[in-house]
Amino acid sequence: MSNYRCPCCRKISSDPHDLARHFLGQTDSKHKDWLKTKGLSYAQLITSQTEFGNKGYDTLAEVLKKEAPKVE
Amino acid sequence: MNEYSIIGKPTTNVDGVAKVTGEAVYTFDMTLPNMLHGKLLRSPHPHARIVSIDTSEAEKLPGVKAVITGKDTPGGKYGLWRRFRELADQEILATTKVRFIGDPVAAVAATSEDIAEKALDLINVEYEPLPAVFEPLEAIKDDAPLVHDDFENNINATRHIEWGNVDKAFKNADYVREDRFNLLSQHPAPMEVHSSIASYEKGSGRLTVWSSTQSPYFLQLGLADALKMREGNIRVIKPHVGGAFGGKNSTMPDSVNAAILSMKTGRPVKIVFNREEEFSATEKRTAMHLAIKIGLKKDGTLLAKEVKIITDGGAYTGLGATTLYLAGTWITFPYKTPNYRYDGFRTYTNKMWSSSVRGFGAVSAVYAAETQIDRAARDLGIDPIEIRRRNAMTTGYEAPGQYKVESCGILPCIDKMEQRVKEKWANLDKDEGIGFAAFAYMSGGIFNWIDTPYAFSGAMVKVNIDGTVDLFTQASDIGQGHNTVSVMICAEELGIGIEDIRLHPADTATTLTDLGAWGSRETLMNGNAVKAAAAEVKKKLIEVARMKLGENIVYDLDAKDKRIYIALRPERGFSYYDIVKDAIKGNDGEPLIGIGHYTPHRKGMVSPAYAMGIMGVRAKVDRETGQVEVKEVIVVHDCGQTINPLGARGQVEGSIQMGLGFGLCEDLPTENGLILNPSFVDYKLIRIREMPQIELFDVPTYDPEGPYGAKESAEATTAPTAPALANAIYNAVGVEFDSNVLRLEKVLKALKEKEAKEKGKGRR
Repeated sequence: MSNYRCPCCRKISSDPHDLARHFLGQTDSKHKDWLKTKGLSYAQLITSQTEFGNKGYDTLAEVLKKEAPKVE
Repeated sequence: MNEYSIIGKPTTNVDGVAKVTGEAVYTFDMTLPNMLHGKLLRSPHPHARIVSIDTSEAEKLPGVKAVITGKDTPGGKYGLWRRFRELADQEILATTKVRFIGDPVAAVAATSEDIAEKALDLINVEYEPLPAVFEPLEAIKDDAPLVHDDFENNINATRHIEWGNVDKAFKNADYVREDRFNLLSQHPAPMEVHSSIASYEKGSGRLTVWSSTQSPYFLQLGLADALKMREGNIRVIKPHVGGAFGGKNSTMPDSVNAAILSMKTGRPVKIVFNREEEFSATEKRTAMHLAIKIGLKKDGTLLAKEVKIITDGGAYTGLGATTLYLAGTWITFPYKTPNYRYDGFRTYTNKMWSSSVRGFGAVSAVYAAETQIDRAARDLGIDPIEIRRRNAMTTGYEAPGQYKVESCGILPCIDKMEQRVKEKWANLDKDEGIGFAAFAYMSGGIFNWIDTPYAFSGAMVKVNIDGTVDLFTQASDIGQGHNTVSVMICAEELGIGIEDIRLHPADTATTLTDLGAWGSRETLMNGNAVKAAAAEVKKKLIEVARMKLGENIVYDLDAKDKRIYIALRPERGFSYYDIVKDAIKGNDGEPLIGIGHYTPHRKGMVSPAYAMGIMGVRAKVDRETGQVEVKEVIVVHDCGQTINPLGARGQVEGSIQMGLGFGLCEDLPTENGLILNPSFVDYKLIRIREMPQIELFDVPTYDPEGPYGAKESAEATTAPTAPALANAIYNAVGVEFDSNVLRLEKVLKALKEKEAKEKGKGRR
C-alpha cells in the first residue's frame, strides 16, 4: 500500500485527508509557501473549515493525492 | 470498608494555620536587603509601531537606578510552546511594535515604587499607530491588519479532530440541530497579583527568582529562553501563592524584567502588578465563537457531532493553543460520540492574550454542549436526565486516536442525581426552575509543548534517624491544597502521621522537576511520584523488618499506623521508629532516600484519567427585574478515590463560585482594545453572600492510573455550573441564551422579547 509523504517535511501518512490535516496544522512558511505553488491559499483553506463540512481538507487532500511523493 | 489510615479522611490543610494567622509568606509580602522596586511602562495603543523611546529624563530622576527598553534585552522570543518555536511569540519588552494596550515597552528600577512610577511618566515613547483588529471573525478576513506579520489571516493555531463518518451519520439521524454561541471571557482574578523578585549574582552569573507562579519549572525555562541563560543557572522558588486559576503559567513581564533590572543594577528587584495591570495585562479565559451541530435518533441516542470554534486569542499564544484543542475535546464528554469532527482556529487580535483559566477549555465548550442537549431533549420529548443517561460513557469507552476512559462513574452519578432531585426539589415555587449539566475533566494533560526531557513529575523522600521525613517536591500548591494532598499520600504510603512529614515544595534547585499546577494534574501526577518515592523507602524499611522477624518470605509485611508488621498477624511487628534507626545504622549511617517519578504512557492524547459527574441547579427568576437567584446546587462527582474530602469540598465550592461568575456576571468589555472594568469595583465577582447552598455527593470509583485510585477532583465542576443555570432559567421562565454572563438586563430583555413574540402569536 502506498503512503504519502508530506512535500515539506518528514510526515508520512496512508491517507491524504490525514496528510491534509497535518499540513494545515503547520504554521511555518515552508508549508504555506508550497500551497501557493499549487495555486492554493492557506487562509482560504482554513477559513472554509470554519463552516460545517470538510471542504478545506477535501480540497487539499485531492491535491496531495496527486502531488505528494508516494512511499512504500 | 476504608482500608486507609489517612487517605479519604477530611484533613485540614498542612499550611492552613500559617495562612490564617498571616505567618505564610507570599511573594507580594517579601522584601530582600538592598531591594529595588520595578515598574513597567505599557503601551496605550492596541497596535502601533515604536518609532523611538527616550529614557534620558527618567534616568536623571533621583532614586532611579536603571531604565531598560527592548534594546537592553537579549532579543529573540519566548513562550510556553517551546516545541513549536514559531508559537513562542512573546518579547521581554516590545522592540518594533506593540500589539495590545498594556504591552510593556520599558521598565524602571528605583529605590521606591513611587519613584519608579514617576520615572515612567518621564519616558517619552513615540508611536506610529497602526490599524488594529479586535474581533476574531474580523481578524481572519483577508484584509485584516496582521498582529504578527508571519501569521496569515491572523491564524495563530488550528486543531482538527475527527473520527467515524460524520457526514454519513448526519444523513442517518432522525433529528439534526445546529446552534451558535458567543462565549465571553473571564478573568482569573486572583487575590495575589503577579509578583516577582529577581536577584542576580554577578560573580557567579546565577539568578534566583521568587515568583507567584503556577509552575516554577515553566518559569525557569521561560527565563532561560528569554535571558539566553542556562536553565541550571536559574533558580525559581515559589512561595505561597494567593490564587492563580490558570493565569500564572506563562513567563510574564514581572519576572523577566525584574531579572534584567537586577542584572543591570546588581541588586534584587521586585515587580508587583497593580490591580489595573492584573486585569488589563494578564492572561484570561478564552472567548470564542462556537458552532455545534448534533444528529440524534428519535430516542435521543447521539449519532454525530460537528463543532467549529474560532477563539479570540489576543496578542500572543500563552496556553491558548491548548485551550483550543481541549475545547474540542471536552465538548464530546461525557457522552459516547460515535462520529465526531472538530475544527478549531485560534486568532491573533490586538488585545491582551487569552489562555487557560480554571476548567481549561471546558467551561465555554460545556456551556454550548449542555445547553444544546437540553434543547434537543425538549424537541424530542425526552427528560433531560434521561437523554444524558442514554448517551453516557462507560468504563473502557474510547474515542479513536484521542482518549480512553479507564474509570467512569457517570451513570451512577446520574442515578444519584435523579434520586436526590426527586427527594429534594419535587416542589418548586413560581418562576423557579431546575437545570442539569453533565461534565468530565482531565487529571493532568499528556502535553509536552514545553518540550521537557524530564519525567512529568518527580519527588524525593528522605527519612531521618528520628523517623521524621523530608518530602521534596516541585509540585505547586496555588491554593488548591496540593501540599496537604502530597503529605497525605506520603504519610499513607509510609504508614506514618502527617505530623511526621516536613514538606519542601516548589524550589527548582532542591526538587525534582514537576510541570506545575494546571489541568488538575498534581493529585494524579505528583501524587504518583510521591507515592513511588515513599514506596521505595518503605521497601527498604520492610526489608529490615523482615530480617529482624526472620519469618518465612511468603508473609507480606505492611507499614501502617507507625508500625511495620506481618499483614496477617498485625501483633507481630515493630515500631516504625525503631526500624528506621536500625535501617540507618545498618547502612553505614546513610539516610533512607526514595525517589519517585511519573510520566503517563499509552494513555492517549489527552489525560491518564477523567473525573465525571453531573450538576443540578435550582434557580428563581424575577420577571420584573430579570434578576436570577441561584437557590441551590447539587453536585454528584466521580473523582476516583478522594484523597482529602475537606479539600475537595472547598475546591468544588470555589469552582462553582467561578462557574457562577462566568454564567452570571463576570465579563471584560473592551472599547478599541481597552478593558473598561479593570478593578474590583467594576469587575463583578460572586461573593460569599451570593453563594447558594451546595450539596455534594461522591460516587467513588477506582482509577487504575491514579494514586490509590484517585483522579481529578473539583475543577471539573467549574464547567457545568453556567449551563446548568442557563437550563434552570429556561425551565423557570422559558428563555434561552446563546451566550454567558446572564446579567439581569440580558434576562429582562429576553423575557420582554418572549412576551412580545407570544403577544404577536396571540393576535394572529
